[in-house]
Formats: sequence, structure tokens, C-alpha cells
Amino acid sequence: MRVPRQKRRRPLVPISAMSDIAFLLLIFIMLISLINYRREIPIRYSEAEKLVNSHEEKNLEIWVDHSGALYVQGVRHDLAGIEGIVAETIMRNPSTRIHILADRETPYRNVHGVLEILKTLQHRVVSLVVRARKGE
Amino acid sequence: MRVHFARRRTIDIGESGTLSDLAFLLIIFFIVIAVFNVHQGILLGIPRPDSKRVVEKQDLLWVELTKNGTIWIEGRSISLQELAVRVRDLRSFRPNMTFALQVDPDTPYQRVVDMIDLVRKLEISNFSFSMGTAALQEVRK
Repeated sequence: MRVPRQKRRRPLVPISAMSDIAFLLLIFIMLISLINYRREIPIRYSEAEKLVNSHEEKNLEIWVDHSGALYVQGVRHDLAGIEGIVAETIMRNPSTRIHILADRETPYRNVHGVLEILKTLQHRVVSLVVRARKGE
Repeated sequence: MRVHFARRRTIDIGESGTLSDLAFLLIIFFIVIAVFNVHQGILLGIPRPDSKRVVEKQDLLWVELTKNGTIWIEGRSISLQELAVRVRDLRSFRPNMTFALQVDPDTPYQRVVDMIDLVRKLEISNFSFSMGTAALQEVRK
């Protein structure tokens, strides 16, 4: 008796599924981008030569613009408001790195106010965010 | 007449390499996103509010930074480069030298960053800075 041998079919991936995958990836990337959305304040960064990588797992950015206005997450606050935010952040996670991003032309008194808050709250380390000096 | 229909060939994704291209692009995307979020800057240790340190008078280098960016030291103005030379000289016979910087409140932030950058480049471990104007006038006298 002759046994009919089944022909082995090649495994096929339907090409139409590719567009579905691409679409899902697009949604995924968009969601990730929204989570990581960082509200920047337009400032002119200060420049320095000796820089270190000051980024940590948890970070809090305090922005100081040219006029001395203070911002956290794109929202303007006064010094008391900043103190509240910093205190709450440190309480929740003491290892949070505080970054000060100040305009290069802003008077020092505006940055000093933030430093005084950190001193009062006994926060040990602060990062002054600057850019590498151009032309070097 | 017998018509022969050509069988439609299917495309194997694994062979076409599309999936690997997509994965590669995604990896590049995430690497770029990760690099964007990294801050570079100057790390400063903040002293406790009640912390005091006794420094010998001859070990203290008192530097004043005015609002127009002029550096004053012992009653005369000098440039940043001259200050660097002065500090290096001073430190050679005063290893415990303390660099005390007094900043005018109206000084542009970049000038302060320049001074901190200089201190870091010269690897001065004893460094303190404060803000004030009244004390600055006394230093000038």
C-alpha cells in the first residue's frame, strides 16, 4: 500500500500583521514620550569647562529664567512654593538629585534664594546644570 | 487550452530582514532618547546651616565678585587668569588655603559659574561662597 506523504508546508507569517505591529509600536513610543515629557523653560545656559554627569535616577529640575522667575515642571512658583515642592520631593525620596537650571544672565540672588532653601532643608548636594564651553 | 496560473509567492519576514531593521531602529531611538535626558553640570556640596569652620587668617583668600563681573582681591581688581596664577602660587606655600568667594547679588550667574569652574579646575578643596554687599565694602576699605 502506498502511503501518501504529506507535503511539509513552509511556515508563513502574514505580511499584513506587520502594519499592526508598527501601529502598536507607534502607540507605545508615543505613550513613553508623554511619560518622559519634560517641560523646558527657554533659558540661555551657562557654560563651563569641567563638567560631570549629574543625572540621577530621580531628579527634580528648578528652572530660573532671565527675569528670576522660578519654575518646576513648567509651572511658575514663588520661593515658598519651591520650598514646599523640594521638601515634599526629598521626603518622598531623599536621594532625589536637585538640579538648578538658571539663565546665564540672571542675577545671582535668584539662584542664591534656591540654594538657601536647600541649605535650610539640609539637602546635601545640588547640581548646577551648565553646558560645555563651546569651541573646546 | 490549459491555462497555468502562477502561484503567488509569500514573503517570509524572517528572510526579508524587515523585522531586524525595525528592531535596530527602535534600539537607536531609545539610545537617543536616553542621551537627551542626561544632565551635565557642577555638583556642589551644601554645608549645614549651623556648620562653622575655623580657618587661620593667613590661609584665607578672600575674593570678591562684583555685579559687573570684576574680581577684587586684597583691594585691587584682577582678571580670571591672574587669579588662577595667584591661587596656584599661594597654594604652593599654603596647602590649607581656603578660597572664600563673596558674590554681589546682581552678578550675572555666568560669572559665578566661571569662578566655581576655576575653583574646580584648580582642585581647591576648601571653597566657600556667599552673597553679600555690606561685607564687600569692608573688604575694599
